[in-house]
Amino acid sequence: MSGPRSQDLLDEALADLGREIRERFDGRPSGPGEGEEPKAPDVDVFAIFGELRARTRTLGMRERRGELDEFGMDPEWIEQLRPALSLLASRWFRVRAEGLAEVPDGPVLFVANRSGLLPWDGLLVAHQLASVRGEAARPRFLVADWLITLPFAQPTLTRLGAVRACRENAEQLLRSGRSVVAFPEGVKGASKTWGERYKLQRFGRGGAVRLGLDLGVPIVPVSVVGAEETQPILYKVESLARASGLPFLPITPTFPWLGPLGFVPLPSRLDFAFGHPLDVEDSDPRDELVVSRLNEELRSRIQQMVDAGLAARREAG
Amino acid sequence: MSSATTVAVTGLRTELGSRLVARLTARPDVVVVGIDHQRPWGLDAAVRFHGLDLTHPTADADVAEVLRKEDVTVLVHLAFRREPTPDVESDHELETLGSLHVLDACTAAGVSRVVFASTTMAYGARPDNPNYLTEDHPLRGHRAAHNVQNRVEAEGLASEWARRNPDRCLTVLRHCWTLGPGSRHAMARYFARPVVPMLMGYDPLIQLIHEDDCLRAFERATLESIPGVYNLVGRGVQPLSRLIRHAGKRVLPVPAPLMHRLRYAPSFAQTGDEPDGFYDFLRYLWVADGSRGFAAFGEPDYTTKEAFTAFVSERKLREMQ
Repeated sequence: MSGPRSQDLLDEALADLGREIRERFDGRPSGPGEGEEPKAPDVDVFAIFGELRARTRTLGMRERRGELDEFGMDPEWIEQLRPALSLLASRWFRVRAEGLAEVPDGPVLFVANRSGLLPWDGLLVAHQLASVRGEAARPRFLVADWLITLPFAQPTLTRLGAVRACRENAEQLLRSGRSVVAFPEGVKGASKTWGERYKLQRFGRGGAVRLGLDLGVPIVPVSVVGAEETQPILYKVESLARASGLPFLPITPTFPWLGPLGFVPLPSRLDFAFGHPLDVEDSDPRDELVVSRLNEELRSRIQQMVDAGLAARREAG
Repeated sequence: MSSATTVAVTGLRTELGSRLVARLTARPDVVVVGIDHQRPWGLDAAVRFHGLDLTHPTADADVAEVLRKEDVTVLVHLAFRREPTPDVESDHELETLGSLHVLDACTAAGVSRVVFASTTMAYGARPDNPNYLTEDHPLRGHRAAHNVQNRVEAEGLASEWARRNPDRCLTVLRHCWTLGPGSRHAMARYFARPVVPMLMGYDPLIQLIHEDDCLRAFERATLESIPGVYNLVGRGVQPLSRLIRHAGKRVLPVPAPLMHRLRYAPSFAQTGDEPDGFYDFLRYLWVADGSRGFAAFGEPDYTTKEAFTAFVSERKLREMQ
């Protein structure tokens, strides 16, 4: 391997050069001489220079050794991002989560209301659970097709642990013992305009409930309050959207006026509430009527939790 | 020599075909019959070679005659182009109609077992694929890749053949991109470029199988009766960008709409198709679930990353540790 060896030689040469120059300037060998009073340690410019050089040289060629999991999540990258994510959660969104203690152990199917354009809610629910229950219990959040195949969003979201929302993926994750955060409202939830905020849309065709029943996994309702305000959609342009490959082109207070900066979410406080698991005692996943009843029950419970969260925010002011 | 199995192999000049024939001729209990358009250079003298053109209208009768004369019991059908050529019509004649001729000949000559080569590309690279495609997932192909469409059609013919001949054994092996020291196909050339183009903003997970693992599975399917459809893949997935960096190459991000405009620059896509037919496979997920294949053919020796490392170090793309 020639790369590291030449790098080592270079570093050595730089260190030698630094020592020599220092000796010449001071007129004596560096290091504390006898009888001298110790002076303040001077800044080693050469060491800094060497370090900077090493960093810039490897900037474009970062080679991550850590392995990805089979869905493309990069645990090493998440570990590096952890301080930034924690800062985002605590300072920008001021996340508060309640009911975390009651979340059952083992694989859990979390079902939450979807809001906001980009999946900040999914990312932060996953981050919150990972930071409280440990990295091994980090749930994977499901995102819609249009988002996971959007340029630039695709590699980033995949590495952060997002998975395309479909039954096969959720089933494989739950079977392998990992939790999943699902947003059954799908694109209808993400594309709600400001006037429809916090009104839960139809919960798909009951896929989440059916999967939970099939695998015998607890279904935990989660309410997300505050994410509607991060990217409030004032208007949807449908005609332009078709050309750009998006399901809709949103007009928000910041997008498209500020260009890419318009994707920066507004710093709204986020309140997560984790409810009791859905009571599914001996329900048959083959019985469509039972599935749709449970699906509606799940939706109304999350709606109640959202309403309660909104009332609490109003009281708090 | 009454206990010897007679194995016919079509498509001797493919990478897989030439290596499979070499492996089979080394076995004392196998007689190998080779069928191809031209005799490959350096073919083992033990191989009973028959020069036949599968695109000929009466190829089915010709192949049946050879199979009957040689008393063939197992046929391995590998006669597919290594990569799509600009001649779409002739590719279709060979890959789809050639497969039909071979299958009809097997019916007529009473061949009891057919091993059929396919590819996981037949699932198609689509935004709505699940992360892991099982063998039961429908083959949706790709509109712009004619070689993939031909495989989808050929596989349809093969499953139709199995349905009409329930007493015979059909093994369909769908392998993902093979890579290894001997690879010389479009993917190998893609990674060997000094600057490797990639679609801007996309970094899909890529799955590879080492050519030795692929060969081992085909050999096993030839010698034993393992009916069914199997995905042949290596364990693990790697993002494309990481593979390119692993090969010590630079990435050239090209905006997807621009790539679409380059449809008249076939050399850019290295195939006769418009670039979508190749680059959509570097854009969307088409990773297959290999668990059924692992159970039937054993654990592969190489993971995706190890297969790629073997390819990179053999081709001396960069110095490896």
